[in-house]
Amino acid sequence: MKFPALKTYAIVYLIFLYAPIVLLPLFAFNNSKVIAFPLSGFTTEWFQMMWNDTQLFKAVKNSLIIAVSSSVLSTCLGVFAARASTRFNFPGKGSILGLIMLPMVLPEMIVAMSLLVVLLTIGMPLSILTIIMGHLLICTPFAVAILSSAFQSLDRSLEEAAYDLGETPASTFRLIVLPLVMPGIISSLLICFTISLDEFIIAYFLGGNQTVLSVYIYGQFRFPARVPAIMALGTVLVCLSICLLSIAEFYRRRGIARTGAKDTGGFL
Amino acid sequence: MTVSDKPTMIEFRDVQKYYGDYHALRGINATIKAGEFFSLLGPSGCGKTTLLRTIAGFEDISSGAVLIDGKDAAQIPPNKRPTNMVFQSYAIFPHLTVEQNVGFGLRRENLSKDEMGRRVGEALEMVGLKGFGKRAAHALSGGQRQRVALARALILKPKVLLLDEPLSALDKKLRENMQVELIKLQRQVGITFILVTHDQEEALVMSDRIAVMFEGQIAQLDDPETLYRRPKSRQVADFIGTMNFLPATAHPTSDGGFDVDVAGLGQCHIPADQAPGAATGNGVNVGFRPETLTILYEGQQPTDRETPGTVEEVVYYGDMTYYDVKLDGVAEPVRLSMRNVPGRPVLDIGTRTRVAWSPSALVLFR
Repeated sequence: MKFPALKTYAIVYLIFLYAPIVLLPLFAFNNSKVIAFPLSGFTTEWFQMMWNDTQLFKAVKNSLIIAVSSSVLSTCLGVFAARASTRFNFPGKGSILGLIMLPMVLPEMIVAMSLLVVLLTIGMPLSILTIIMGHLLICTPFAVAILSSAFQSLDRSLEEAAYDLGETPASTFRLIVLPLVMPGIISSLLICFTISLDEFIIAYFLGGNQTVLSVYIYGQFRFPARVPAIMALGTVLVCLSICLLSIAEFYRRRGIARTGAKDTGGFL
Repeated sequence: MTVSDKPTMIEFRDVQKYYGDYHALRGINATIKAGEFFSLLGPSGCGKTTLLRTIAGFEDISSGAVLIDGKDAAQIPPNKRPTNMVFQSYAIFPHLTVEQNVGFGLRRENLSKDEMGRRVGEALEMVGLKGFGKRAAHALSGGQRQRVALARALILKPKVLLLDEPLSALDKKLRENMQVELIKLQRQVGITFILVTHDQEEALVMSDRIAVMFEGQIAQLDDPETLYRRPKSRQVADFIGTMNFLPATAHPTSDGGFDVDVAGLGQCHIPADQAPGAATGNGVNVGFRPETLTILYEGQQPTDRETPGTVEEVVYYGDMTYYDVKLDGVAEPVRLSMRNVPGRPVLDIGTRTRVAWSPSALVLFR
């Protein structure tokens, strides 16, 4: 390498980024209640402790329900919006799209606070449902952004060809459009799932007495005795994330290979 | 039976199309016969593709009517029309195999697997892609994609096949081969072909009749030979091949023709059928194609008339040589072309020469 300084910078940067994640499994298997070096021995006690925590399971269940619902719903909405924005021209298109994308740059605190005020005013009880609504609001812009580029790259004459060959607009969408934007749909589902899963502010504000994973983990840090179990939980989450990403990337690449499109790097 | 005796397949009745304020089609009137190879020729933006798409049903018209096989097309959605299209980008479905692409239109016919396989096989054989069925469509070359698009459109046995610049993406050699193959294919299947192209040579080679379009209007609709030899306007003449123009004065004669005095050539008589855009008086133009002028070598006598000139530019093409010759008494040189045959040397720039010409090759323009 010509520039040792740049190389050093790159290495330091990567260490800063990933060292904390490497520490998670290290302490998860460490036989000590104190999170500090030196390591004192190997144990799976913390995983046991995590496994027996019914509160945790409830939080995980809530989080999964919320993440799956909001990713599926926002991706559906994203498909509609992306289709409309790439295929049709209508009055006010620009401003409508702008308003859809706005929550992406709006501070989440504002979104959470204003939603809370509205919900309390209309007397809607806080629950998983209200969290899903909040997450839908912040996930949809990401879904629209990802899906717009997928729909944009679709050659319009493909749809016309299918229509010309006797298919209806609906069957054309199912047979031609949907398979070709599938990589985009997978990307969108994955991003929205991730955003929803680790979202804190809205889940905390709108959750009422329902706890989700991020809020639960935050709460556990008040009890030093439980921190090693959190480390164990973190380890499991990291492994799951890697698995999920690999699967999604596999399907995305397969979709691209099938259609012979150029790999533009996807969302990663 | 000649084409003109056949029944009408497509009829345009005063077709108008506006995009907002833009007047894309300005009153198109034309009929296309069954089994005809018809071309829409014009520069980009002249409305030829728009007109083709009104037949397919992808463009609504603002007023007028398009009749397909006697029925008003406005009532028929694109997926029910007896037309199929070969798109400029070919629009091959990239996630399907060649076989699935070609058989796509048969999905709705509920054929047995064997029958389906047989028809797809036939269609692939017709376009010379036998054995390509299992390949992934996106792995094909440009020429192969074009054939797949053709097979896919023809498998439904449409009454009209619409071709939107189907050869423009191919290289020159392949394009010329495909032109011949398309003509053969059209004769074989007997379906009306309507081709959109901006390539005048392609249109001349392939078509029974050509509609030349400028700015949303049909400037001239004729068979290739008439179009080439008797263009109705300077615009058409310029678009199709090369044409020389010389200023002239014209006086009508009792037989409907004109006595003209052409700068550099002199006086002659032009009969009525050589004056499609008839005009009299000063400031008219006489046009002629490069190959209608011949350089006279030493000892050669003209079959009709001759006029002296000087060679100004020589462009050697291998089989042909193009000369720009300044005729005595004319400011602008005229272009003429000569076949290169043995015993006919290529002339040098500056050579004094004699040029043979005939009034029968002249066309009178406004």
